[in-house]
Order: sequence, then C-alpha cells, then structure tokens
Amino acid sequence: MATLSIKSLGKVYPGGVTAVSDVNVDIADGEFIVLVGPSGCGKSTILRMIAGLEGITSGDLQIDDRRVNDLEPGERDIAMVFQNYALYPHMSVRGNMEYGLKNEGLPKAQIAERIAEAARTLRLEEFLDRKPANLSGGQRQRVAMGRAIVRDPKVFLFDEPLSNLDAKLRTQLRAELKALHKRLGATFVYVTHDQVEAMSLADRIIIMSNGKVEQIGTPMDLYLRPASRFVADFIGSPSMNVLDGTVSSDRRSLQLNGSHQIDFGTELPTAAGNQIAIGIRPEHLHQNTAGETRIELSVGFIEQLGADTVVHGTIAGSQSPLAVRLNGVQARDSGDSIALSCGRDQIHLFDGTTGQRLNWDNQ
Amino acid sequence: MQKRVVFRSRLLPYLLVLPQIAITLIFFFWPAYQALESSFFIEDAFGFSRQWVAMQNYVELFQDPSYLRSFKTTLIFGVSVAVMAMSISLGLAVAANRVVKAATGYRTMLIWPYAVAPALAGVIWYFLMNPSLGIVAYWLKNVGVDWNHYLNGDQALLLVIVAAAWKQVSYNFLFFLAGLQSIPKSLIEAAAIDRAGPVRRFWTIVFPLLTPTTFFLLVVNLVYAFFDTFALVHATTEGGPVDATSILVFRVYNTGFIGQDYGSSAAQSVILMGLVIMMTFVQFRFVERKVQY
Repeated sequence: MATLSIKSLGKVYPGGVTAVSDVNVDIADGEFIVLVGPSGCGKSTILRMIAGLEGITSGDLQIDDRRVNDLEPGERDIAMVFQNYALYPHMSVRGNMEYGLKNEGLPKAQIAERIAEAARTLRLEEFLDRKPANLSGGQRQRVAMGRAIVRDPKVFLFDEPLSNLDAKLRTQLRAELKALHKRLGATFVYVTHDQVEAMSLADRIIIMSNGKVEQIGTPMDLYLRPASRFVADFIGSPSMNVLDGTVSSDRRSLQLNGSHQIDFGTELPTAAGNQIAIGIRPEHLHQNTAGETRIELSVGFIEQLGADTVVHGTIAGSQSPLAVRLNGVQARDSGDSIALSCGRDQIHLFDGTTGQRLNWDNQ
Repeated sequence: MQKRVVFRSRLLPYLLVLPQIAITLIFFFWPAYQALESSFFIEDAFGFSRQWVAMQNYVELFQDPSYLRSFKTTLIFGVSVAVMAMSISLGLAVAANRVVKAATGYRTMLIWPYAVAPALAGVIWYFLMNPSLGIVAYWLKNVGVDWNHYLNGDQALLLVIVAAAWKQVSYNFLFFLAGLQSIPKSLIEAAAIDRAGPVRRFWTIVFPLLTPTTFFLLVVNLVYAFFDTFALVHATTEGGPVDATSILVFRVYNTGFIGQDYGSSAAQSVILMGLVIMMTFVQFRFVERKVQY
C-alpha cells in the first residue's frame, strides 16, 4: 500500500527519440490508475520507468515519499504483470509464485501460506503443480497475477494484461481484476490501449498521446469534459462526431466546411471568423426537436447492435460525416433523412488549431 | 488443400531420392561394411593375402593395455574439450548478447575460428606453444612454468585439448547466442522485479532455459572430440609423447597406415562406429524427451 508520485518525468532514448515528456501525477494510496492511449504514446514506457526496467532521463519518481529513480527493479517493492505473462516456463505454477519470495528470503512456512492464500483467491489450487505450458490463456493470466499478489508489493503494475485474451474472457477477467483491487486495496497502475478497459476499471485515467499527458481525470471527467479533441475522439464508442467549421460573424452559428450551417442560439466563446471544431457524442443526438441545436442526418448505413442502433451518414446538404446512436432496434434505409437535435450543454467546443477545449458560459 | 505432395508417377519419388541414397550407400555403408569385414581378418602388409581369424583382432585389442589407455585418454580428452569449449562459448555468448554497439562485428569475429581447418588450428597452437619458438611457451616460462609438450605427456594432452576446444568455441557460441536470444526479455525483467540479481537470474532462469541447447551441444562436442580431431592430433603431437595424446581415432590411423595392421585398425573403426551409434541413440532418445520444460 503506497502512494506514487511522478514529477516532470521524461524519457529520451539514445538516438534522441523523446518517448515521454513532462508527466506529473500524484497517485493516492489504493488508487486504480489506468494509463491509456494509442500505441506508441509512451504509456508502457512510463510503466517500465516505474518498474525500473527503463532508465529515467529526467524528473523524479517517488514511492511513499522515497525517491526510487536509481533503485533496481527488485528494490522498489513493486510487482508487475506482463502482457505475455512472462511466466518462467521451466517452473511449476507454485515455482513461479515462490520465486520472488525465495529471493526475498522469506521462511518456508510463510511462503507456503501466502501461496495457498493467493491460489485460493485466484482459484489456482488444482493447477499448482502444472507447468505454464499446460495452462490455458486465462489460467496463465491468473498465475501471473498470483505471482504479483504473493509478493504483497507496494504498487501493482499491469502492462496490457488482458490483450492476449479473447473478448469474453477479457470481460470476465476485467471484473475479477476490479474485485481483486477492491479486496487488496492496493495501488494499481494499469496500462491499456482499450478505452473500454480504462473506463470500466479506473478510479482515474491518464490519457496520453505522443509522449504527453492529454488529460488526467475520472472516467466521467474524460467522458463529460474532454480536455482536448484527442481525448474526445479516444474516449467513447462509437467515437464523438467532431465537425470543423468557421464561426459566423454574429458568433451564433458555425459554418461547416461545405455550405451547411449549425445554429446555436447563443454566442460562441470565441471571435468571429475563428476556426473551431464542435463535438457531439452519437448518444447525445436525439430524434426530436427538443434540443436547441438541430441537425438533419442523411442515412448512409446502419449498425444494429440489438440494444441500440448506430446510424452512420452525413449531415444533410454537406459531406460532413455524422453518427448517431438510437435506442432499441431501428430500421432505416440509405438515403432516409432523420431530424435530430442536441442540448447545448452536450456540445463540446475545441480550438481549431490547438485542439484544446473551449468552455462556454452554459457549462 | 492437400499438404502432402502426391506424385502421379510411382517412379519419380524414387528417382528423386536416388542420389542421396547412392551417396549414402557408396560413401558410408560400403566402407562401413568393408571395415566390418576386414576386422575379422588378418591381412599381410602388402594386401596380397588375408586370413580369417574371427574375433581375434577384437580380443587382442581389449587385451592390449595401451589400447585401453587410449580409451581413458579419449574420455579425458573428449570431456575436457566439451566442457572447456562449452563454458568458454557460453561466457562469450552471454557477453556478446549484452553488447549493444557493433554487436555484429563482435559476433562475426567470434565465429571466424570455425572456418579454420582442424589441421591448421592444430598448427597455430603448435607454433604458439612450441617450447623453443612459441610465444605462449615463452610467457609460461616467464611465470615459471616449464612448458615442453615434446617431453611432458600431460602438457601434450593439454595442448591438443586447448587446440580442439578453441576450434569448437565458435560453433557452440553460435548456438548459445541463438538460444539466449530466444529467451523472452520479459522473463529476465520479471525475474529482476522478483528480486533476483544478475547472477541468480542467470542460474535460475537463463541457464535452465538453455538446457536443450546445452544438451545438444554436449553431444555434438563429444562426437567432435571423439571422432573429428584426427587431423589436429596428427598435425601437432602425432599421438605422442609415448601415446599420451593417442586418442582412439588417431590410433585407428596409426595402427592402419603406420603399423599397417589393417585388421586391428578395422576392428578399432568398428568399435568407434559402435560408439557413434550409441551416442546418436542417446541424443535422439533423450534430447527430444527429457530435456523439455
């Protein structure tokens, strides 16, 4: 159980490639933090720096107020679950879990006790004498977690631990992982590229792109108030509709690229003639005219998912793509037109050049 | 899709394997049969006549103390060469695996000795160790070792062991390096997080995972030392002094071509052949099964 403090952390690889720059975050004791972002965004590098597997180029890393920058991985009191599980293939499940404890020099009785407990927690009792080669993917995953749990570390690190599993098992293990976190009450740092995993597991999410932090916040912060166009696009499925346009001279409407115009009925928080982008989540567009902002969708194709129907198309009279999520089973033909509206408080504005969020007074 | 190739003609497949079978028959089975046959005869030195003696050649061999000594010499030689060649090459492979800069350069240079013919490898070491001209012998003299493999049988044996091992290091190095590189990096990282230092990591993770490679190389090295080092011994010590480096394979040559006792030489070849068959059997039996993790 520990706090983790990251101060202006940076990583530059020999050869001059900057993988991570200026990351600041304080992780509370028992918090479940998820690092998410597309591949190559530096999230794994941060995790590996916390683990001590990569050197830290600049900044400070503290576990429980102790600077650990220069400590060996084994001295940091952390445990890590690898994407490929990294189980020792020549050792039994028991051997895998014992290894770290033996290295610590723990008495035999205590080792046996911890392994028994972890095996019970993870339902691994009947597999203790098997070799990893004779386990299924999900079982290997649990052994990898068991190896971390028995160590009773200050911080648990997970490097995309579920990405090698099939979708159903992934969902199941996600729930188990969440329950495990609750039971252990330990600090978890978890890396994934899957925004659903991030949203469902995290207390707080750190979302990254190109080695920089885009936003740190609770899943609902990220969903409701994305700090940038990147975050808006990354979080949510199907992803947010983002439309580029020019602010009209009276600042009350947006001229989309093309001829279409969207009226807001209130002044936009930016100067006339500026390039901005508006973002509307597909689930926030409704088939009525109650909202202040009205849009007409020309149907292209539909995806029927059962619980709801995603309609893809373009804004009538323009080439701007738009998706909308309608409740229940809905049938639409290509070329149909749907009148939609959206509450102004559910429209996000982003600066056209920097992509940063623009706040307006109603929010 | 059919995975196995199906020939329309019944003749073609036999025709295709014919060259390989012909080579095997002419160059392996025929000589082997000839050796087996001659081992039951005593032949005069000029090959004019021969006499059936049944097992007499074998009986005489196993009653000859110097032949039995050759067995012991071969065993010492073989095990020493294998252990020395393998431990040195494992050390080099581990070191080369850590090198980041100019890695290919190092590797290429480490592989070079394998391209040297055995006789030349012998000659190189012969010159280095020569008591009157050799640079190594000179250094040894400076540190107080009186090196003379012409007179000292143990030193002569050491010389051929070192020369034979040096020759084999490159081969072992290649396999060990490939073995090391096939160990996932994350295993080593996991062990580092599990508080194992570099030395402990090597002996508890890396070395056990190299077991299949190690066992394979052990058999290959023993086979090499037992059967493939004739030229090296011939070029350096010629089995001497007083049979000190007379390993079995050298003795076959010596008995046959110097002593012109073809029957005994053939009998020795047959015994060696038996050894090879045994070792091959051991390798196939155990490498495939036991050394698995």
